[in-house]
Amino acid sequence: MLLAGAAAVAGMAIVRAARSAPPNPDGWFAVTVETDPARLTGPDRPDELARIAERHEVRISPAPGGRGSEIAVREADGETRDRVRKLKQLLETGEVLLVDRQPEGHRTALGRVGTPAFRHLTRKGTR
Amino acid sequence: MRALCWTGVNEVSVEDVPDPGLLNRQDAVVKVTASSTCGSDLHLLDGYVPTMMAGDVLGHEFVGEVVETGPDVRERRVGERVTVCSIIGCGRCHYCKEGLWSLCDNSNPNPGFLETANGHASAGIFGYSHALGGFAGSHAEYVRVPYADVNAFPVPENVPDASAVFASDAVPTGWMGADLGEVGPGDVVAVWGCGGVGQMAALASLRVGADRVIVIDRFPERLDMAAEMGAEILNYGETDVLEALKELTGGRGPDVCIEAVGMESHGTGAQYAYDRVKHALRLQTDRGISLRQAIHACRKGGVVSVLGVFLGVVDKFPMGAVMNKGLTLRGGQQHGHRYIPMILDRMSKGEIDASPLLTHPMRLEDGPRGYELFKKKQEGCVRAVFRP
Ligand SMILES: NC(=O)c1ccc[n+]([C@@H]2O[C@H](COP(=O)([O-])OP(=O)(O)OC[C@H]3O[C@@H](n4cnc5c(N)ncnc54)[C@H](O)[C@@H]3O)[C@@H](O)[C@H]2O)c1
Ligand SMILES: [Zn+2]
Ligand SMILES: [Zn+2]
Repeated sequence: MLLAGAAAVAGMAIVRAARSAPPNPDGWFAVTVETDPARLTGPDRPDELARIAERHEVRISPAPGGRGSEIAVREADGETRDRVRKLKQLLETGEVLLVDRQPEGHRTALGRVGTPAFRHLTRKGTR
Repeated sequence: MRALCWTGVNEVSVEDVPDPGLLNRQDAVVKVTASSTCGSDLHLLDGYVPTMMAGDVLGHEFVGEVVETGPDVRERRVGERVTVCSIIGCGRCHYCKEGLWSLCDNSNPNPGFLETANGHASAGIFGYSHALGGFAGSHAEYVRVPYADVNAFPVPENVPDASAVFASDAVPTGWMGADLGEVGPGDVVAVWGCGGVGQMAALASLRVGADRVIVIDRFPERLDMAAEMGAEILNYGETDVLEALKELTGGRGPDVCIEAVGMESHGTGAQYAYDRVKHALRLQTDRGISLRQAIHACRKGGVVSVLGVFLGVVDKFPMGAVMNKGLTLRGGQQHGHRYIPMILDRMSKGEIDASPLLTHPMRLEDGPRGYELFKKKQEGCVRAVFRP
């Protein structure tokens, strides 16, 4: 368990390093999705995309080389990034992949306490 | 159910854990009949892969029987015997469609860590830390398999578990090593590392028609196994590998150099001492002795195909040799799905037999001892395989 502690420290160091780069106020978070741009712009665009667009500037453009569409979301925090990724999963595979509630052995006290931060780090990234 | 969990650096234990269930509509639950140790586990065990947590279930190379399928599983059936690829793909993102399954965009729900460390995240892997998805591993009685239609492959009846289990990881990984090097007739191939992966890379190179395959390790019993299948062998404990390779190839160097050792490369002399110290102090994340050697040995214009797992930065990386010799450097976690059907077919026809890798069949309860033997390469252990 010490190790997870050490890993968390190492992880935090990576996070700090990433954060020390000056944040770009106009920053966009972008993903490429295997889908026609028309499916993301028309009146039948996915509800989740519409909800994201209520709070963020969203840009949809065709991806080069027949790679579908680019979805760019402005000023996306960790939570929003996670939502955008899940939207991509839903559009490409029809479901959002779950990993919680899987078999696990005995977690140490530090492990149980550290888990939320750990999950946040590995799931939502550094913003 | 019982499962083998990582509990700390070089510590594993068999514990009672909850049974897995279907979490997604495209999932299956597989009853594991054989689950192998792999060199990649040693990097986890030794604590070089961050984001492991005590209690995580290990294991990613396995075969079993489908016992439950989600409502959106179309191809797989309850009762089917399947080899499951150690790498999880979704089958529908751009990368999966291109056959680059280990680069899947959707199968790793925890991409943050790798995005920060590497720029982008790669696919999820069973039992391989939270940064690679946090999926429970296969050293257990049952395992949940996401996107079951694309990740589980039916095993022909005449292929025993002892061979089929390695169609999950060691064989397709080795095959990819030859494939990335575009190995073919006329080629001389050198393979660093004679574990399951290196041996299968040597076998694949021979099967696709390489003229000569030279395998490098220090364990005589492993080298003997490679010699048995037609490879030439070099013991780096006794021979100067770089000189020997030049001599064996008319001064040219091997056309394709396959690295199947990875970040915990062992060596002799000052370079090894230097790497060990820096690695231990975490001043470098990976030890690169065999990788440097492969680059140094490779013929001008040749290909270095990296199968060994590296995580971060390698010290003293010989960029000058890569650049000035015009080398092509390729690598990756295995794109197993591309090769597994062909491999199972060849196994069924008797063209590939991976079962010699299974030196130690064991009960799951003996898991800690299995890892001990495998890690220390004792009693001729090449792979310990658990039968839960
Ligand atoms: N790319 C992938 O998808 C993939 C899949 C499976 C395994 N791997 C990686 O492949 C590597 C090998 O796996 P394995 O299961 O065969 O492991 P293993 O531990 O059974 O074998 C590694 C072998 O390398 C030898 N070795 C160590 N230092 C060496 C050196 N300097 N020169 C030559 N040989 C040396 C060891 O003696 C050992 O026999 C590991 O790094 C593992 O993580 C990658
Ligand atoms: Zn493996
Ligand atoms: Zn995919």
